[in-house]
Amino acid sequence: MLTYIGRRVLQMVPVFIGVTIILFILRAPGVIPGDPVRMIAGERAIPQATYDQIVKENGLDKPIYVQYYRYMSHLVQGDLGKSYQLKRPVASILLEKFPNTLKLALMAVIIETILGLAAGILSAVKQYSFWDMLVTLSTSILVSIPVFWLGMGLQILFGIKFKQWGLPYLPISGMESANFPSWVHYILPAFTLASVSTAYAARITRSQLLEVMGQDYMRTAAAKGLTSRQVIWKHGLKNALIPVVTFLGLDLGAMVGGTILTETVFNWPGVGLQIFNAISTRDWPVVMGGVIIIVFLVMLINLVVDISYAFLDPRIRYGRVAE
Amino acid sequence: MEDLQAAEQVNSPDGAGGGNGDSQAQEVGGRGRTLRGDAWRRLRRNKLALAGLTWIVIIILIAVTADLWVTRVLGDPIEIDTTRTAELSLQSPSAHHPFGTDKLGRDIASRVVYGARVSLLIGVVAVAIMVIIGLIMGAIAAYYGGIWDSLIMRTADIFFAFPYVLFAIALIAVLGKGIQNVFIAIGLLGWPSIARVFRSSILSVKETEYVDAARAMGASTPRILFRHIMPNAMAPIIVYATMSVGGAILTEAALSFLGMGVVPPAPSWGGMLSEARGYLFTAPWLMLYPGIAILTTVLAFVLLGDGLRDALDVKLKE
Amino acid sequence: MPALLEVDDLHMHFFTRDGVVKAVDGVSFTLEAGRTLGVVGESGSGKSVTALSIMRLIPEPPGKVVSGDVRFKGESILTMSDKEQRKLRGNRIAMIFQDPMTSLNPVHRIGKQIAEPLRLHKNFTRKEAWDAAVELLAQVGIPQAAERARDYPHEFSGGMRQRAMIAMALACGPDILIADEPTTALDVTIQAQILELMQEIQARTESAIIMITHDLGVVADMADHVLVMYAGKAVEFGPADEVFYRPVHPYTWGWLESLPRHDVDEKGLLCPIKGQPPSLINLPGGCSFGPRCAFARDSCRETEPHLVDIGNGHLSACHYCGDDEFVAQSPRCAAGGR
Repeated sequence: MLTYIGRRVLQMVPVFIGVTIILFILRAPGVIPGDPVRMIAGERAIPQATYDQIVKENGLDKPIYVQYYRYMSHLVQGDLGKSYQLKRPVASILLEKFPNTLKLALMAVIIETILGLAAGILSAVKQYSFWDMLVTLSTSILVSIPVFWLGMGLQILFGIKFKQWGLPYLPISGMESANFPSWVHYILPAFTLASVSTAYAARITRSQLLEVMGQDYMRTAAAKGLTSRQVIWKHGLKNALIPVVTFLGLDLGAMVGGTILTETVFNWPGVGLQIFNAISTRDWPVVMGGVIIIVFLVMLINLVVDISYAFLDPRIRYGRVAE
Repeated sequence: MEDLQAAEQVNSPDGAGGGNGDSQAQEVGGRGRTLRGDAWRRLRRNKLALAGLTWIVIIILIAVTADLWVTRVLGDPIEIDTTRTAELSLQSPSAHHPFGTDKLGRDIASRVVYGARVSLLIGVVAVAIMVIIGLIMGAIAAYYGGIWDSLIMRTADIFFAFPYVLFAIALIAVLGKGIQNVFIAIGLLGWPSIARVFRSSILSVKETEYVDAARAMGASTPRILFRHIMPNAMAPIIVYATMSVGGAILTEAALSFLGMGVVPPAPSWGGMLSEARGYLFTAPWLMLYPGIAILTTVLAFVLLGDGLRDALDVKLKE
Repeated sequence: MPALLEVDDLHMHFFTRDGVVKAVDGVSFTLEAGRTLGVVGESGSGKSVTALSIMRLIPEPPGKVVSGDVRFKGESILTMSDKEQRKLRGNRIAMIFQDPMTSLNPVHRIGKQIAEPLRLHKNFTRKEAWDAAVELLAQVGIPQAAERARDYPHEFSGGMRQRAMIAMALACGPDILIADEPTTALDVTIQAQILELMQEIQARTESAIIMITHDLGVVADMADHVLVMYAGKAVEFGPADEVFYRPVHPYTWGWLESLPRHDVDEKGLLCPIKGQPPSLINLPGGCSFGPRCAFARDSCRETEPHLVDIGNGHLSACHYCGDDEFVAQSPRCAAGGR
């Protein structure tokens, strides 16, 4: 068991390094369009002395592997550089925004888990019924909807139209406003963010449960005299849900990554929106810093999920013994 | 349950040389059966998949013939009639402009049609790129194994560590905007999945007994690869590629929405949605039609992909 | 006094998209307490489906019992309510399946799975059931039962798993034990052990056993009665001696003849039965075995034979089984029996 964890962590290391290399390549001078010195100093003409000074300060004249080393050592210390636009350390900007993104993502995962699992179980148990068709069709549709369009649509319907029609309506922008308690602001963005993932969760739950239902041990359970409901709940679910739980964990990572679109639509002050604004203003350190943080977070979550899988599946936990 | 299986077996082709793509008609139960024919028949039964396929064909036809009729019937997607801009701008849907006009007076329906070209083009080209790269990488990894396998798979792992949209944004930030870079970005992001699927298909088929049987018959390596391994390994790739076209269209829309994809004034569905943001109150039709276009097109590919998966899955019979 | 189990002209069909599969198309037999019935036949002959039908484990669409009945201690199983039926399952009638690896739940401990029928049917508490499960494991020959009960199925070997399944089936002391090819998935040496175990248990508990197999050796050893099945039909049924030494159905002849023999010196050719079993959707008219029968006559193509009693509790579904001259053509007869 411990060896399993150890192996997993070890496997993560080369990937980790590979990721940093790619990110470094992406932000290396010459790769990103534009002269990095220009970016730091601004568009105005600067005297050669200042130019040289900037080069020296940032180690831009050193060979590439030295620059990589500099970059890595900064990274490890948590220094992500300074924002061109805001003249503040990137790390502190992002750290401010980070909790907002996390809260939204967590809300979305809760929605996704409850709705997705329920829909998946329902459609598997009542296969071929009206409910099954409904769930299958709506998950297919959800998977095909552009997330940001869904967000806009919800904004129009629940924010604008409902107001026009005199119905209670929902806020469509930001985390706080005068008219509403703050939790209400989570509703539309969280559902939007959760939408596509819920569809996937429902599909996976359904297919896993269906596969399990066709297994021999389910027949054995029925042969012992259990009702079909007991067979599904006691014998089927635990087997079926193992991969689903894994998916949910991995999805949290994907969701954190996907917040950029939702935050943009709803003006949610999180890391995603920060990155989007930085793209518009060509503030590359912020873009890259944001990407780095999110990527590392996702990798960490994946590792945790991997490990927890071992706890859930006794076949991995206990390995093979007699044979 | 062997009796059930026996009953089912009576109605499916002789399973043994399933990897052989050649037709093998078996007269059992009174109807001719081939592997491809079986798959096609199953696909035809799937109404949703057929609907998807039909819609895709329709969209392709519309997009391909666009030049012939769109400007005449609907109006130019790019040209702005500067003399009449104020008057034309932001009209709600009418007989003359079925989807309305945007803030520069351009007909939205016509822009949606031309946007279809972009989306389809991206879908096909990007997926072609990732399939080609993916197949090559997967084949090398699976067939040569050893260090090549580790190298390629580790690289794939690195790509997998990045959340998709974010990586696409980062790549575009580096490569610059424009449609070619969108192809490249999507193709680059997608190859690891294909490589992984292909590699595991090859590996599992490599181990199976009928490849041993073929070898025992004296078949040489390339022959084995092409006639026995490929047909089986291709099925999941075909399904994945179909679904990926849908995914590529969504990704392009997202990139264009964020201002990182197709450059205006060229029409693109995502770009149109970005423009629509400021007019949610005043002109909701701006966001409606491009969004529906994306939804229906992607849905068509998803349904088709689902149908292909069910049709090609030989195991489903059991 | 009714037999423990009576299967009366059972017909179980599957209604599929491609047609009606007549998986069980006329099966009758009786089973008495403490006896063993061997059900033999090739793959696809309907043996498993018959057993599953007795337990009502066949999913209702697409399967359906179109006619016939199954009676346990005189009471019809097929017309019972679901609830009453479930009281029998795992309790009075228990089943052991072919592949113990896939038939045990991989995420539940062995002890828990064995304890389950006790908690369900006899209302044992968790502790009582667990202790009983450990005891059962010991009885089926698992060493260090108390520790092994805490294992998961993948930690057991194939033979041990099958023993665990037997323990599970025996938990409530059933009247009938149905074993569906219990040894097919096991090594030959383990097979012998498992069969021995089952005989031992039968001696101890007086339960009846239905042993489904395609292996004649297994049946020869254990069966009091034999039921031969072909294409979903019962073609011959009777006391084991009768069926082995005085078979009257051409299929039984062909089957016995086709078995490789160790006791003959000359190196002869194997004699399989020519042809293939028919499609269960498109059964031939008349006798299902007719097309392959070396002794078929015109009437065999026209009318379907039903089970006929020819004395000594011996039944056969052949038009000519009562005809001594016909029966004398049997290869076994010619060879003078074993």
